[in-house]
Amino acid sequence: MKRRNFLKFSAAVGLTPKKRLIPLASDLCALSNDSNLSKVEARYYKKLPDREIECRLCPRFCKLGDKERGYCGVRENMGGTYYTLVYGKACTVQVDPIEKKPLFHFLPKTAALSLATAGCNVNCKFCQNWEISQVRPEQITHIDFPPKEVVKAAEENNSPSIAYTYSEPTIFFEYMYDTSLEARKKGIKNVVITGAHINSEPFHDLLKVVDGVKIDLKAFNQDFYTKYVRGELQPALDAIIAAAQSQVWLEIVYLVIPTLNDKVSEIRRMCRWLKKEIGSDVPLHFSRFYPSYLLKNLPPTPVSTLEKLRNSALEEGLNYVYIGNIPTHEGEHTYCPNCGKIIIKRMGYLIEKINIEKGRCAFCGHEIPGFWS
Amino acid sequence: MSKVVIVKTKNIYNSHHDINAEKLLNLYQRGFYLLTGFKDSKNSIPTLFNTKTKIGIKINTIGGKKISTRPQVSLSLALYLSEGGFQEKNIIIWDRTNRELNNADYKLNMSQRGVKVFGTDSNPIGYTQDLTIHRSIGSRFSIIQSDVISQSISLPILKDHGLAGITAGMKNYFGAIHNPNKYHDFNCNPFVADLFDTPIIRKKHKLTVIDALTVQFHKGPAFHSPWAEDYGALIMSTDPVAADYIGWQTIETLRKEHGLPSLKQENREPKYIKTAEKLSLGRADLTHINIIKEEIT
Repeated sequence: MKRRNFLKFSAAVGLTPKKRLIPLASDLCALSNDSNLSKVEARYYKKLPDREIECRLCPRFCKLGDKERGYCGVRENMGGTYYTLVYGKACTVQVDPIEKKPLFHFLPKTAALSLATAGCNVNCKFCQNWEISQVRPEQITHIDFPPKEVVKAAEENNSPSIAYTYSEPTIFFEYMYDTSLEARKKGIKNVVITGAHINSEPFHDLLKVVDGVKIDLKAFNQDFYTKYVRGELQPALDAIIAAAQSQVWLEIVYLVIPTLNDKVSEIRRMCRWLKKEIGSDVPLHFSRFYPSYLLKNLPPTPVSTLEKLRNSALEEGLNYVYIGNIPTHEGEHTYCPNCGKIIIKRMGYLIEKINIEKGRCAFCGHEIPGFWS
Repeated sequence: MSKVVIVKTKNIYNSHHDINAEKLLNLYQRGFYLLTGFKDSKNSIPTLFNTKTKIGIKINTIGGKKISTRPQVSLSLALYLSEGGFQEKNIIIWDRTNRELNNADYKLNMSQRGVKVFGTDSNPIGYTQDLTIHRSIGSRFSIIQSDVISQSISLPILKDHGLAGITAGMKNYFGAIHNPNKYHDFNCNPFVADLFDTPIIRKKHKLTVIDALTVQFHKGPAFHSPWAEDYGALIMSTDPVAADYIGWQTIETLRKEHGLPSLKQENREPKYIKTAEKLSLGRADLTHINIIKEEIT
């Protein structure tokens, strides 16, 4: 399906976001006043002599002199103290189906109040949200949206969860963490949609206050991460293991880019690694790539490629393997690994039928892993 | 053969560290003379620029009041340009943000009278909607650089830089894009050279003037008084690579005089200068640079 037709189709069947509070696309000409940025001391950094600091939030370990910002563009050294400029400064807020994250085994058919700030600590050439992730906070419009207001908005919009998403939530760690604490007080869940380019200490701290994590595994080799992500693979792998070992629900997304990360042999190797390290039950989503940002010279991923990779993953023994960004494809549904029947039937972000009762297949009683209530 | 002019004077600052305006103007007059062969601005300026168009003077004000391109330095250059045929209203002194300009003691002016001074974040300027993708660069450009001006002067202050090695004329254009934070890996190499090579900059850049009245030769780019030297010089060249190369050598000389290791020894040699030479943007080799150095009393 062509992208234009897909969008037309999506609108027709109600797959567009349920409610948009701030437009996703930002207008760089509508510049914010940079005096309106936050000045909240950042966590995870070390003060060095001569007013320098070393950021320890992510594997870049940016070493910054006075008045300099990190690679993320949203954390600044001011006179030897490091500050986050985006605490409570949301540039995108909307209410999405949780399936859009995608999280398929986490409170299906519910809404997630979703938010982002400007900035990102990598620079993926295929970024779909580069207009907010690859800019500085003063270059786009944002609203004051402190943690308590976020939780209140989630309640008012009947969202049982808050999703930290769109850009890279690692870079607004303090905002995400404090909002998660506030949400927990009200019984609202927290999910993080991340590439997991984050250091172990902050990630372990984060796992204590959130309920679900979706990790974008962008490839299974460092060369791809160096060339197309400007980041490192190992932190993402470490985060996958850490999340799996925690009480937090984990799903993995792999964006399949034609010719760059679509080798069957590599996918099989990745699946064997996942099975060995965290077991067969982690949901794995193969998502379709559309040309974007700095990678406009490649076509959308052929459906046949996605099907081939899904089949390979199933052959390697993973139980829940999905195809994403292709509405109505049979790879969208959840199948019981025991009886083979469809237990969650999806059409895009819509749920047609859920055949799971008390966390078990309604047909055969097989336990289905997930966060169901 | 590229020409780099270094005009230097003693006591450019008074006891309050204010710039001696007369001495500064003498530096410009002598510098332009050595660069063009013409003693007065009316003759020298038209040899370098088309005076009928708008010209931008890109300054560097990230360092605040203490280590930014000083207002007197850019305004004196603007004055010289206007004497040389530019209308004042067609001269734009600019940087990323009005906040940074204010912090460096600039008085903003977007009116139709006098030399303009404003940041890219001034309403309704901003950045281009479209990305410019060129080699390793994918950026939106300040509309000042892309649309408002047709000729450009880079007027940075000369500083050591913890990541890039040095910051001078070419790196100054990091302030012309929306995402400079993405280009500091690998000592900013090849990013500084690749950015300069974009047509939006390369085709408009006409002159580099490096403010070396005070040089931060260590622990830059922030100001640290123990390693800031009142050097009293302007470095001028139409070759952007040669100007930066001489700026680099100036910093190395000062470091050596103060017993500091070279930038290479600190693993932060500004390799982007050689990369720029490989892109044929200019020369980074003393055998191809004619250095004209003059002390003015």
